[in-house]
Amino acid sequence: MIRIDGLCKKLPDGRSLLNNISFSVKAGEFVGILGGSGAGKSLTLRCVMGLVQPTAGDIIFSRTKASGEEETFCIQNLSERRLREARRDMGVIFQGGNLVKRLTALENVMMGRLGHISPVRSWLYGFTDQEAKEAYEVLKSMKMEDYASRRVGNLSGGEQQRVAIARAIFQKPALYLADEPVSSLDPKNARKVMKLLKPLSKDKPVIGVFHQPHLTAEFCTRVIAIKGGEIVYDGAPDLDAATLAMVYEGELEEVAREPASVAADASSGFAAEEVASLRPGTITP
Amino acid sequence: MSGIDGYDFRRYRRPAAYLTSLAALIALAAWQAEVDLGMFFRNADKGVAQLGAHFPPDSSVIGIMVKESLITVAMALLATPLGGAISLVFGIAAAKNISPPFIRSIARGLISIERALPEIVVLLFLIVVFGIGYFAGIMALAIGCVGMLGRLLGDAIEEIDKKTLESVELVGVTRSQLVRYAVLPEVLPAFISNLIFRFEVNIRASVVLGAVGAGGVGYELGKAMDLSDYQQATTAILAIVVLVLLSERLSDFLRKKVNAKSAALA
Ligand SMILES: Nc1ncnc2c1ncn2[C@@H]1O[C@H](COP(=O)(O)OP(=O)(O)OP(=O)(O)O)[C@@H](O)[C@H]1O
Ligand SMILES: [Mg+2]
Repeated sequence: MIRIDGLCKKLPDGRSLLNNISFSVKAGEFVGILGGSGAGKSLTLRCVMGLVQPTAGDIIFSRTKASGEEETFCIQNLSERRLREARRDMGVIFQGGNLVKRLTALENVMMGRLGHISPVRSWLYGFTDQEAKEAYEVLKSMKMEDYASRRVGNLSGGEQQRVAIARAIFQKPALYLADEPVSSLDPKNARKVMKLLKPLSKDKPVIGVFHQPHLTAEFCTRVIAIKGGEIVYDGAPDLDAATLAMVYEGELEEVAREPASVAADASSGFAAEEVASLRPGTITP
Repeated sequence: MSGIDGYDFRRYRRPAAYLTSLAALIALAAWQAEVDLGMFFRNADKGVAQLGAHFPPDSSVIGIMVKESLITVAMALLATPLGGAISLVFGIAAAKNISPPFIRSIARGLISIERALPEIVVLLFLIVVFGIGYFAGIMALAIGCVGMLGRLLGDAIEEIDKKTLESVELVGVTRSQLVRYAVLPEVLPAFISNLIFRFEVNIRASVVLGAVGAGGVGYELGKAMDLSDYQQATTAILAIVVLVLLSERLSDFLRKKVNAKSAALA
């Protein structure tokens, strides 16, 4: 489970990038984060990953250890060693995958377990046959086995993205974080990747940043919208046109043109009356 | 008027200005160094006589020269991987994306100093420390690698995609694992190619250092010249030429192999 409580990030000059972001996500939830460019979506995730130190607020990440007991991390104040331990249990997926281009798909997938392997072993021995086999199984379950020994730099964007997801799965994390995992993909591959992410949320929390409301509406169990560093919506995934209009403001046209999303209302514009017919979900102004 | 629409046409006459000042500089330097072109012609007959004294080569020392050449190769062969290992450490320490600022500036500083020092200066220093001989020579050659290889490696590491490093770091790895799995795979092929090139350089450098006392065929050449045994010197020179040509061919061949392998698909 992951709980974010009153997260704030201010720049030294006083500018506020994140303001009182609070939400928690538990297993079974697939949360889509929406919001315009520069809203603070990536920054929120980077705080969770421990890459950015927040100005205020708590990020509580808990996992169940192999022994069955619950372990809790307070991400914002961990030593370097403890942060590594916490990160071991976060499966992170980036736009484009950000993989090691000169290594093969299988090697990149196996890297998901590096955190569990001692530095001495990774220098002197590498991965066990068992680990290689398991990594291959993950690729196979994604119909990617033909790419196992191909160098990642030579794979297409969609294939790389799937390798990145395989790496996260192989990591066996307690939480999945994905920053724009489908943004660089064509609609067909984007749906493919969403279909891979969805089942992960069955027993682990999944949080993803997306730019396609029609995809979050179809696949996510819940949507959080961020605007100007604040949460402006947190609720059901099928946002109506007026809410989307509010979330994206100036960027509305591009969003509306996405297929099958809110196409019906695109031509008529977003009249204020429509706010009255809001679907369930809470708008926090 | 020198320009139209703000376009400066004078830029096209600059080469002439550069050439003139360059010529002036050369003249000044020649005057300073007391270059006397007349001497070249006055001593031409001496040069011809000297060349004559070098022939025919002394075939009785072929065996010695081959053996000493092998020693030269052995020195380069030992020094290159050793220098590579030192360069690896310095290169990693010199990359700002994986190394703390303090360590990085020390590493960069040492690399710059090394690059500024010719191998022979390093050797003269090491001879004082270790005494004259192979060991000082090998160490001088190894240290001589660091200026070039360490810098190239440090620069290559700094060019690795920041997002790739971050994404591997987020798996929860230590810094040494990051180096092993995200840094080395990206930079090693180019590093090995540079290392092979450096082997070729080290063969030549090993000849020069040999003449100063490090041993090998260079030392034999220096000794023969000192003793005015010019025919023996010719044998040494021929051995050196063959050695350098062979090492060039070998280095070209190996580097092509490495490059082809690292570029190969799949
Ligand atoms: N380290 C930082 N220093 C200063 N400003 C930052 C830093 N990181 C992010 N920002 C700023 O914070 C704001 C939010 O950035 P963020 O990357 O979270 O946007 P985003 O919602 O992910 O947008 P996009 O959809 O374009 O990726 C931006 O205005 C960005 O310039
Ligand atoms: Mg972003």
